[in-house]
Amino acid sequence: MFLKHAQVAPTMVSRLLAAAEAAARAVPPAFPLDATVAVNPFLGQTGEDLAMASARLSRVAGAALTAPRAELVARVRAGTITDDDLAAALIASPSPLKPRDLAEFKARMHAPAPAPQALPTLAELAANATGTDWPAVIARSFGLWAAGHFDRGQALWTPRPGQGAFAAWRDWASHDLTPEIAGLRGFCAHVAEAPDTPERAVLRAAERLGIGPEAAETAFHRLLVDIGGWAMHARWILWQAELTGGSDTTLTDLLAIRLVWEEALLAHAPTAAGDWQAVVAAHTAPLAPTPDQVLDAILQEAAERAHQRGLDALLTGPAEAKARPVLQATFCIDVRSEVFRRALEAQDGRIETMGFAGFFGLPLAHRAPGSDTAEAHLPALLNPALTSAPDLSPAVEADLRIAARARRAWGRFRQAAVSSFAFVEAAGPLYGGKLVKDALGLGAKGLAPEPAPRIEGGLTAAQKVQTAAAVLRAMSMTEGHARLVLLIGHGAQVTNNPHESAYHCGACCGQTGEVSARLLALLLNDAETRAGLPAEGIALPVDTLFVAGLHDTVTDEITLYPDTPEPDHAKDLAQARTWLAAAARTARAERAPRLPGASPADLIRRATDWAEVRPEWGLAGCAAFIAAPRRATAGRDLKGRAFLHDYDWQKDQGFATLELILTAPVVVASWISLQYYGSTVAPQVFGGGNKLIHNVVGGIGVVEGNGGLLRAGLPLQTINDGEHAAHDPLRLSVLVEAPAEAIAAVLEKHPSVRALFDNGWLHLFALKGGQIAARYRPGLTWEDMGKATRKAA
Amino acid sequence: MPDLALSALAPLPLMAAALPFLARPGRRPGALPRLAEGATLAALALAAGSLGQLLMMGPQVLDLGGTALMRLDAVSVTMALLVAFVGWVVTRYARRYLDGEAREGAFHALTLAAVAAVLVLVQAASLPVMIAAFVATGLILRQLLLFYPERAEARRAAAKFIRVWGAGDLALVAAALLFWQGLGTVDLAALNAAATLPLSAQTGIALVVLAAALKCASFPVHGWLTEVMEAPTPVSALLHAGIINSGGVLLISLAGLAQSSPGAMAALVMIGGFTALFGALVMLTQSAVKTALAWSTVAQMGFMLLQCGLGLWALALLHIVAHSLYKAHAFLSSGGAVQAVNAIRKPGPVAVPGLGAVLRSFGLALLLYGAVAAGFTALVGEKSAQALALGAILIFGVSYLIAQGLADAAPGALTRRTLTASLAAALAYFGFQVVAQAVWGPSLPAAPESGALEWALIVLALLSFGLAAFAQALFPLWAHHPATAGLRVHLANGLYLNALLDRVIGGFRSPSRS
Repeated sequence: MFLKHAQVAPTMVSRLLAAAEAAARAVPPAFPLDATVAVNPFLGQTGEDLAMASARLSRVAGAALTAPRAELVARVRAGTITDDDLAAALIASPSPLKPRDLAEFKARMHAPAPAPQALPTLAELAANATGTDWPAVIARSFGLWAAGHFDRGQALWTPRPGQGAFAAWRDWASHDLTPEIAGLRGFCAHVAEAPDTPERAVLRAAERLGIGPEAAETAFHRLLVDIGGWAMHARWILWQAELTGGSDTTLTDLLAIRLVWEEALLAHAPTAAGDWQAVVAAHTAPLAPTPDQVLDAILQEAAERAHQRGLDALLTGPAEAKARPVLQATFCIDVRSEVFRRALEAQDGRIETMGFAGFFGLPLAHRAPGSDTAEAHLPALLNPALTSAPDLSPAVEADLRIAARARRAWGRFRQAAVSSFAFVEAAGPLYGGKLVKDALGLGAKGLAPEPAPRIEGGLTAAQKVQTAAAVLRAMSMTEGHARLVLLIGHGAQVTNNPHESAYHCGACCGQTGEVSARLLALLLNDAETRAGLPAEGIALPVDTLFVAGLHDTVTDEITLYPDTPEPDHAKDLAQARTWLAAAARTARAERAPRLPGASPADLIRRATDWAEVRPEWGLAGCAAFIAAPRRATAGRDLKGRAFLHDYDWQKDQGFATLELILTAPVVVASWISLQYYGSTVAPQVFGGGNKLIHNVVGGIGVVEGNGGLLRAGLPLQTINDGEHAAHDPLRLSVLVEAPAEAIAAVLEKHPSVRALFDNGWLHLFALKGGQIAARYRPGLTWEDMGKATRKAA
Repeated sequence: MPDLALSALAPLPLMAAALPFLARPGRRPGALPRLAEGATLAALALAAGSLGQLLMMGPQVLDLGGTALMRLDAVSVTMALLVAFVGWVVTRYARRYLDGEAREGAFHALTLAAVAAVLVLVQAASLPVMIAAFVATGLILRQLLLFYPERAEARRAAAKFIRVWGAGDLALVAAALLFWQGLGTVDLAALNAAATLPLSAQTGIALVVLAAALKCASFPVHGWLTEVMEAPTPVSALLHAGIINSGGVLLISLAGLAQSSPGAMAALVMIGGFTALFGALVMLTQSAVKTALAWSTVAQMGFMLLQCGLGLWALALLHIVAHSLYKAHAFLSSGGAVQAVNAIRKPGPVAVPGLGAVLRSFGLALLLYGAVAAGFTALVGEKSAQALALGAILIFGVSYLIAQGLADAAPGALTRRTLTASLAAALAYFGFQVVAQAVWGPSLPAAPESGALEWALIVLALLSFGLAAFAQALFPLWAHHPATAGLRVHLANGLYLNALLDRVIGGFRSPSRS
């Protein structure tokens, strides 16, 4: 169909559309806030290194991708970054533009870093030419349309469903008079006459704007950055479609929309044409980092090496092995578990804790009580394979559903046009009581436990055994079980916080870990499971009981769910509760000083306060991922900054578990760490903005103030206490206790994971005997770091 | 002094608590925010104390050298209690919410000052005092709207606000001058008691109506209210629950005067009624929660003006109180919108009522109305035509709740629940109305006798609200029809009045050139 186009040659067509596709894939997905997970904002740049990605995002977004130079130089002055760190980072840099030696490096780093400047859009050039703030007009008009188009139920009157974004926008924009009132005369007609498919619109605009295939990728990327979180939301739609084998064109639609605007503005402000040609020429120039970007990347690496020195000093070898522990507790690998695990282990020498991804290996979609929709409870990289539901009778379910529908009908009564007046007169005065209740923090519902879950359709005995054995192996929990084993997921009790799901379990796709933990406990206590496990080579003691729990990461309280009745363990459970309560107090005492103005008791209030914008620090501070037996880290204060995954390579046949760890939890951890990194170093592009003026839009995200651009990423308040950053932007250091060759073999098999390490988005170390033995270098090679080598040197 | 109402002193602790912030306008000003909350509680206690005074001593006026300053009556005590209460909630909220902001101290000082100014406004006994409070409120609110002055959107919103607000102040000043010239007084009580109205006073009343319409963000000058989400959430709560009511307070305080001008009353019915329907329709199309709430305020204030225009003063005051409490809560809890929208999707598709179900629901609603109205009439006596008309408008709204339960796809249990809720809603508002009439009715003029003009307005209001309610109940059947797509676009843009206002004040200009 493109061949009919008179002016654009076929090869040109395919190259331009390929550039549009590449620009789309350069944008990271943003998950809707009702079930959000952290996403690596540089997902589209993992094939490049930090300096190159800096060059790209400087051009398209005006963003720097490294911590501010002045801050890092201050650390050099203070001695937290040493000359050795600087020298090592300098040597490691592959760039030909790097300083020749340490002296030049140190001389140059004192010069201020040039502020990155994005290439302007035509809208910006037209604004300069005409004096009208076209970028703001676009943000307002486009934002209003997008808010309605992507709305999931906020407005009662949404646009006609089932239309593609481009067609829907054409309908909208050919009626919307705002641009014409702002002075863009004829815009409605321009839209009405625009090509009828997004591809044609992209091609026509590229032709009119003189964007050739060489300029197209970053020119298009520039426009997608310009529409902020809306593009990221569209990228998420594509992500979800591809996860289930489908595809989606919303992102191309948005690019086409933005290009139709550029066309119109070029026609409106012809005097901008000269400047625009220069911009296109700049887009055509191949991307290359500047010497400053290379220098900043090296400085960034030096900061990370300084942190790694600290880890190296802490990891001095494993603690002693224990006899059969009296209590085992498996927590999520989440960095917030580290503080609690340390506190719990300190209660008694016979307590052992383990770390595993908080979905406990069960690929679940769970249907909440009274709900028709099943929500994913597993890492965003995976597809659910099991469906679970509350274990309720159909009559109780039906009642819950009727109650929910009646609430919804009342909500529509409150929202609808004429009835909103009746609502206010009938119910308004009652809100006085609600105000008092909420002002005093008495209205919070908390993390109310659900009825016990069950797998829909049930599992056969063989499936139970198979699933249980697979999970136990992945957890490296095939022997040495205590009488009582706790499986503890986590969630955060927050009130009135649009970003609530971001505080929940990332491995459970932004839900709490309650359902996963309870289902696994039920599965492992199941008689059929226990009967079949010995055949799998896993012998669980008869007296071992699994009990699920949920760690509230705001209050550090742990709720246990004794779903399997077991009177023999009453004493063990009572003792466990005592220890958990004591550990909670210790953990609160450790966490409180980090939160501004908080006392340990105050943490509980934060959970129920509807005005609290910093209920906890989430995963702020995360910097390391350690996959090793707990003995390697036990007793060491990792300050809640490390993901801890239990892994014993000697029990790992064929390194299947190693492969799983490197391709799933490590990738999820990298997404989290890089989200914090991106939101900290480039808040304007990858940050969620200011919570104080957040305006929830469409049930999917937030805009700041009146509207306009969707803001994805972490809000300012979640990474900053008002004065200081609460997160130190460091790329994650992954430490794995396994033979280096085995690790390399896994990377070789998974190029996309390897790219993360080869391009420096993650650091990788091999541990041996609980100590750092080697540092991974790009190209599947290792740099020996064994203590013996270093002493000799 | 026996005639000094305690609530007249309520602004004092607030101002006293605001002062120390001058020394600590920045981040984390120690215990001062706690002190600020304490001051609002003191103001609330004073307002409560004045309720006791009113019960014991009856209405009072504090005057100084013959000029009335502050008053104590059912209306002023109600409003003082409301404003102090909302002030407490907002200040307490801001204490946590603003923690760590660079201008945290300044925020608290401005909030306290705003509450103090509104407290004066709602108790003013004469126009000069009221005007001074209006001006002060406007200037303080402008500073709050500019809490993030680096945001161009915030500057634009503040510019719109201060122009509209200032225009209202000017209208009020002109009205005061005309009253002084024509009636020789600017005391509210004296103005309400004026027997004959010369032309200058008639013009003054028109200006009062204009000022109220400007302050209440009525069509077509509503634009300023829908953009003020540029300030932190507590400001929105304070604005939508406290400050926005000032237009209504102005009218209710001058109820006697306004009611002596049938033209003014008719204007209020038409402005208010249109704004109510317009705002409510636009609200339906808004996907951002705070924006939808702002449009809802436009509509609710319009409805309140409609009630004023019908002479239902006590009900207008009830509406102010009810709406303030609801809207303060809605803004402060707007962070829960993600969960709320998610919850809407969970129980499956909404049962859509067909034409038959909608007609049945209207029939049922009217039956319900007949029964409830007859019951209340038997209990508390005859109602005015205006009150009956208003009840009918409200019952049109309830019919929507009934219609949802009557949809063919709705299970019986759901039908029962929505019917119960409908009955509860009908009883609740008639009950509240009885209370409102009993509490405030004696101090406010009764609804005027219905002449031809009044009847015409009543019929017009009934027809337009009835039609809108009917359309609303059938909404899912036409909302997605391609023929209405254009209408939706225009409504979502608020019929472009805001864009036109932007064009006039230069709101589209690039920040560097403005």
